[in-house]
Amino acid sequence: MGSVALRNIRKSYGPVEVLHGIDLDIQDGEFTVLVGPSGCGKSTLLRSIAGLETITGGDICIDETVINSLAPKERNIAMVFQNYALYPHMSVAKNMGFSLRLAKESPSEINRKVNAAAEILDLTNLLDRYPRQLSGGQRQRVAMGRAIVRDPKVFLFDEPLSNLDAKLRVQMRSEIKELHQRLKTTTVYVTHDQIEAMTMADRIVVMRGGQVEQIGTPLELYDRPASVFVAGFIGSPSMNFIAATARDDGLLLDTDESLGKTPVALANGRGVIAGFRPEDIRLSDTGVSAKVALIEPTGAETQLVLRTGENSIVMTTRDRISLSPGDPVHFSISEGKLHCFDAESERALSGAV
Amino acid sequence: MLRSDRLLAYAMILPVVIAVVAFVVGPTYNVATLSLTQVVMGQERGFGTLGNFRALAADPVFGLVLQNTAIWILGGTFLCVTVGLGVGTFLAIDSRMTGWLRALILLPWVLPDVVTAMAWKWMLHGQVGILGQTLQSSGLTEGTVSFLGDPDLVMWMLVIVLIWRKMPLVALILCAAIRSVPDDQLEAARMDGANAVERFRFVTLPNIAFSLTAVTVISMIWITAEFALPWIMTGGGPANASQIMATYIYQQSFEFFNWGVASAMSVINLFMLATIVALYLYVNRRSWASEESK
Repeated sequence: MGSVALRNIRKSYGPVEVLHGIDLDIQDGEFTVLVGPSGCGKSTLLRSIAGLETITGGDICIDETVINSLAPKERNIAMVFQNYALYPHMSVAKNMGFSLRLAKESPSEINRKVNAAAEILDLTNLLDRYPRQLSGGQRQRVAMGRAIVRDPKVFLFDEPLSNLDAKLRVQMRSEIKELHQRLKTTTVYVTHDQIEAMTMADRIVVMRGGQVEQIGTPLELYDRPASVFVAGFIGSPSMNFIAATARDDGLLLDTDESLGKTPVALANGRGVIAGFRPEDIRLSDTGVSAKVALIEPTGAETQLVLRTGENSIVMTTRDRISLSPGDPVHFSISEGKLHCFDAESERALSGAV
Repeated sequence: MLRSDRLLAYAMILPVVIAVVAFVVGPTYNVATLSLTQVVMGQERGFGTLGNFRALAADPVFGLVLQNTAIWILGGTFLCVTVGLGVGTFLAIDSRMTGWLRALILLPWVLPDVVTAMAWKWMLHGQVGILGQTLQSSGLTEGTVSFLGDPDLVMWMLVIVLIWRKMPLVALILCAAIRSVPDDQLEAARMDGANAVERFRFVTLPNIAFSLTAVTVISMIWITAEFALPWIMTGGGPANASQIMATYIYQQSFEFFNWGVASAMSVINLFMLATIVALYLYVNRRSWASEESK
C-alpha cells in the first residue's frame, strides 16, 4: 500500500512563493512523472514529499495519514538522487544496507535483503566495490538498490538519469520501468525530459511556474493538451502554433488560406491559436502554400521546415522526400488533428477538458 | 633530443635541490653530527661519542621533560583538533552570526606569539592576574590561584593557552571541509533514517577524513615547534615543571652552552615526530575513513 495525496501544497522561500497550491492524487502502485521546465517547482514538490523541505501550507498524506510533520525517516519513503549521493567511503553492500544498519536490523537480515536487492539489480558481483570504481549506470543502480532494500511505500526519483549519457539513459529508462512493473511500488519521478515522462509514466503531471498545468496519461496529454504550454512541451519535435481566425466552420490564416475545419464551434471572426503536430501534416496539391526552408533527414523519418508568410512550420514524414530547399509546396492537416487554443488564456478550446 | 630534454629538466629542478640540501639536509646533518660530538662550554672535544645521549639518559630533568612534552604535544594536538572540530562544526552552520564569527575567530591567530604570551602571563598571574582575582572575588576559591606557579597546573595552563591560539585555524579548516560535504549525501542519510549524530559520524566525518588527518599532523608539527609561548610564559618553571623539549633544548644550548646535549635532544625530537606522523598516516590510510575496519 502506498497512495499519496497532496492537498493544496504551498511552499514559500521568504516572500517568494514557489508552489502555488498543488493538488494531486497518486494511486497505490502508480508511476507518476512530474515534468516541467527548470524552476517549475517539480523538484521542490518531490523534496516536500520526501520531507527534506518543509511546506508552508497544505497537507501531504500517505495512505490517508497526514505526514506533514514527520521526519523523512518516519515517512517510509526512499529517494534516488540526481547525483546518486552514494557514500564514497562505503562499499556497495554497505551503501545499500546503511538504512537497515541504522534501523538496527541484524547483520544476517541486512545481508539477506541487500543480496536480494542486488540480485534484482544485477549488482551481485559489485557488492564489494566502492562507488568510485563504478560506472555512472552502475552507481545509478546502487542508488536504486539503496531505495529498494528498505521496501518503502513510495519511491521518489529526482532526475535520476540526467547525469548519464544518451544511450545509457535509454537503457536505464527501461530498467527503471521494468523494476517498477516488478515491484509495483508507488513511484514519483521528476524529470525535465518529456520523452522520459512519456515513456515511463502511468500518469504525467505537467508543472509550470509552481502550478499544475495538466494531469493525464501520456497519450491523453499528447492527444488532448489542455494548453499551449502542454501542447508545446509534450512531443518532439514540438507542436506548430500559428495565429488563425475562425470563419464559418474553418480556420483561416492571415493569407486567407484554410488550415481545415475548426474542432469546435467558434464565433465568426474569433482569433485563436491553431496547433498541429509535425506528423499530422501532409504534403498535398491543394491546401496552404509554403516554401521548403530546410530538409533534415534522420533516417527513419525526414524533418522539413516549411515557411509560409512569417511562420515556420515543422513537419515530419516517413516518406523519402525529393524536394530541395526553396521548392514551393502545399500542405494540409490530417482530419481531426487540428487543435485550437484561446488567444488570450492559451487554454484549449477543444480536445481535453 | 630526448636526452637533452632530460638534462634540461634536471637543470630546471637543480635550484630547488640545492636549496633543499643547503637549508634542510645541511642543518640536519650538522645537528646530527653535533649530537655525536662531545662539547664542553661551547668547545668541540672529539667526534664519535654517544656521551650526549648517555648524559640525557642520566639527567633526571630529561624524564620530566619527556613527560611534559607528551602532555604538550599529544594533549595539545588532541584537544586542539577535537575542540577545533567542535567549533568548526558549529561554524559550518549557515547563519549570519556564524558568518561574523568565522571572521572574528581568527583574531587569536593573527596576534604575535610574544603578545599572546605576555597577555596570558599577566592574566594568569598569581597575585595580580585577572582570572585569579575574579575567582577569588566571586568566592569560588579562597585565595588567588597561581596558575603558572603550581607545578601540577602549569602544564595544562600552557596547553589551554596553546589551544586558544592554535585552535581557530584548525576550526576554520575543518569548517571549510564540513561545508564542502555534498548536501545530497547528507540528505540521502536523512532519508536512510540517520539522526544528526549518525549523519556526522557516518557521512560528515568520513568525508572530512583527509582534512582531519592533515590538520592533525600539521597541528602536531606546529605544537612541537612552538617555543615562544611556553618560554615567555614560564621559562620552563617552576622548577622545570613546564620544561618541554623545545625550551629545554634552548636552555641547554643558549644558557648552558651544552651544544652536544641539545643536538642529541633535537635528534630525539626529530625521530619522535617522524615516528608519530608516519604511524598516524599509516593508520589513517588503512582504516577508519573507509568503514572497512569493522
